[in-house]
Amino acid sequence: MDELGIDRELLVQTFLAEAEETFGRMEQALVALEARPGDEAILHALFRDAHTVKGGAALVGFDGVRELAHDLEDVLERLRGRSLGVTDALVTLLLRSVDVLRGSVAAAAAGAREEPAAALAFRRRLAAAAQAAGSAPGAGEPGASSSPAGGHAGPGDAYEPAGPAHASARTLRVDVTKLDRMLDLSGEIAIARGRLTDLLEQRAGAGAEQLLEAHREADRLYQDLQELITKARMVPIGPTFHPHARTVRDAAAALGKRARLVVEGEDVEVDTAVIEHIRDPLTHMVRNALDHGIEPPDVRRARGKAPIGTVVLRAFHEAGSMVIQVSDDGAGLDRARIAARAVAQGLAPDAARVTDEEAGRLVFEPGFSTADAVTELSGRGVGMDVVRRNVEALRGSVAIRSVPGAGTEITIRVPLTLAIIQGFKVGVAAETFILPLDAVVECLELPTEECAASAPCGILNVRGAPLPYLRLRDHFGLGGARPGRENVVVVRHGAHTAGVTVDALHGESSTVVKPLGRMFGGVPGISGSSILGNGRVALILDVGGLLRETLRRAATAEANAA
Amino acid sequence: MTQATEADDRAQYLSFSLAGGEYGVGILKVKEILQYETVTRVPSTPRSVRGVINLRGQVVAVVDLAAKFGLPETEVSRLTCILIVEARLDGQDTVVGVMADAVQEVIELGPADVEPAPPFGTAVKVDFLLGMGKVGKRFVLLLDLDRVISADEKEFARDAATGALEAALEAAPEAPAGDAVEAA
Repeated sequence: MDELGIDRELLVQTFLAEAEETFGRMEQALVALEARPGDEAILHALFRDAHTVKGGAALVGFDGVRELAHDLEDVLERLRGRSLGVTDALVTLLLRSVDVLRGSVAAAAAGAREEPAAALAFRRRLAAAAQAAGSAPGAGEPGASSSPAGGHAGPGDAYEPAGPAHASARTLRVDVTKLDRMLDLSGEIAIARGRLTDLLEQRAGAGAEQLLEAHREADRLYQDLQELITKARMVPIGPTFHPHARTVRDAAAALGKRARLVVEGEDVEVDTAVIEHIRDPLTHMVRNALDHGIEPPDVRRARGKAPIGTVVLRAFHEAGSMVIQVSDDGAGLDRARIAARAVAQGLAPDAARVTDEEAGRLVFEPGFSTADAVTELSGRGVGMDVVRRNVEALRGSVAIRSVPGAGTEITIRVPLTLAIIQGFKVGVAAETFILPLDAVVECLELPTEECAASAPCGILNVRGAPLPYLRLRDHFGLGGARPGRENVVVVRHGAHTAGVTVDALHGESSTVVKPLGRMFGGVPGISGSSILGNGRVALILDVGGLLRETLRRAATAEANAA
Repeated sequence: MTQATEADDRAQYLSFSLAGGEYGVGILKVKEILQYETVTRVPSTPRSVRGVINLRGQVVAVVDLAAKFGLPETEVSRLTCILIVEARLDGQDTVVGVMADAVQEVIELGPADVEPAPPFGTAVKVDFLLGMGKVGKRFVLLLDLDRVISADEKEFARDAATGALEAALEAAPEAPAGDAVEAA
């Protein structure tokens, strides 16, 4: 803290969060400006944002950033004054200036005293652009250094970009009314608790019914509070979608294509953790849509389509999940090319036998790529694989649907919140384990002849098909005697199924997921923990990890038998 | 607890018994003491990690120091307790449960009451001790919790396997008494 008692650290943190938000908004506005060059409101909003960054940078002493923002303001001022026309080249330059600003902010935050050389060079370009504008129409004031009258907000405040609840990794903005309601509820809980204590203390006077009623009252309040907190974690998906307007623009420009982004369902709310995890997959998919989907304008014209392609980002709720779709009106999946590439990479035996469905599956295989050349955008064969893995990490699923010549649609389904899952409880020895319900296929009783077998794993005959199974007791070395009857829970992970043999089935329930903590750096086969109704901790099984182990053991067993 | 700060150099420790020895930890490190409750075992973890418990909705790991020191695992009795302590693990304060056979008392020790730990003879390697506290005629081993919690079981195993004396003799030339005082 300095002599004024101002915590500069705090100021910088606030500035950084706000700057990132402002930059995102500016990018959106710039892309919008390109589409509607005459829109005054957008220009005013842009100017305001540049000015906000300038003010903020001055406050925290990021001089390089301040000067850069000032130069940007100059150019925007010319645009506002109609002494400069909106061109593609200029929008590109302005978008670039947002990038440079971002870089300068990051450098300054990291403690760099000097302005990065790239930023200095860029400022000259920006100044040249403003200069050119000043001389060309001959209307503006001479020189680029004229500083605009700062501090005034533009009239006609029509353009208000969406994005009030920007979610960053560590912080979350919550509506104050929501917080007030939480405070009210916790106050009510305190009263209810006091009442319950009173009743319990004078137990002789209070009947069991009265006690139960008081308890139910408190319970209802607890549930309300829990629901409210879960809701507070939900933020609209819009701010995650909008930056892709720029992704589409830049990628299209780089590929010599023309495309626009349409966003649907931007108000759909989803848990912040989910948003963090789908950000990268979204970028991959949007880029893929442009690289592989949307055709160049002349090809599109020849096929009778509009020359400008459309990429749609859509979000909606469906049965406890959130669905995100990325669709394009491009060429669709090229089955023949995917098949040929799959054969070349040894992923499929025969190109002629690859169906449309298989082609859709093949693009998610690790390392698969149909791009002939590795470009900046795609072709490294990591994109869709990353998408699938990120989505699966969220306990979600990806599906792809494609119509040749008409477009591709990728559908991602993710749970609304990561904090609560539907679990299936099983008992082994004295322990209770929880399996995610969506991984459970069915439950069987272990046949008596298998019960007699003492091996830790084996093969079951389920309706004529072999099913490898493992005994959880042996897998985890839990000890204790096996009961007379054992149960098998058939679980699925991706394309594989396997059996998990347990002592008892306890049924399904909603499960609040808790991390295991730093003492445990990733226990194989365990994904987290949860607290049971009796207050004890139960471990949540990681079906993927368990199955990898089962398959490995099954393979070893088969090799030994052969 | 606040007395520890007002007393000039005197510090308070909570002493507890474990596997026949008496140990102490700085009282400011101890957040609470719980009666032993059933611990959920976590598979594929070291023997010294007893499992996890539910501490008012937070899942907390419970460490069996006896197993960590290479002694037999702690048997649960009526007096068995879990000390909820705060230790630094990988540079972050972490809440951990530590098992104790029984909690003894709060002792107050001045600098004169704390002796540097001898190079051998103790169940715990000297690196993991802040010193030996003198309480009447008894000695209480004052544990450096941060180091004990973050250390690997293997680091203790050498003492258990080769005998404390032998290990101490090996270690003695490289760790003279002066260093131990500094560490304490």
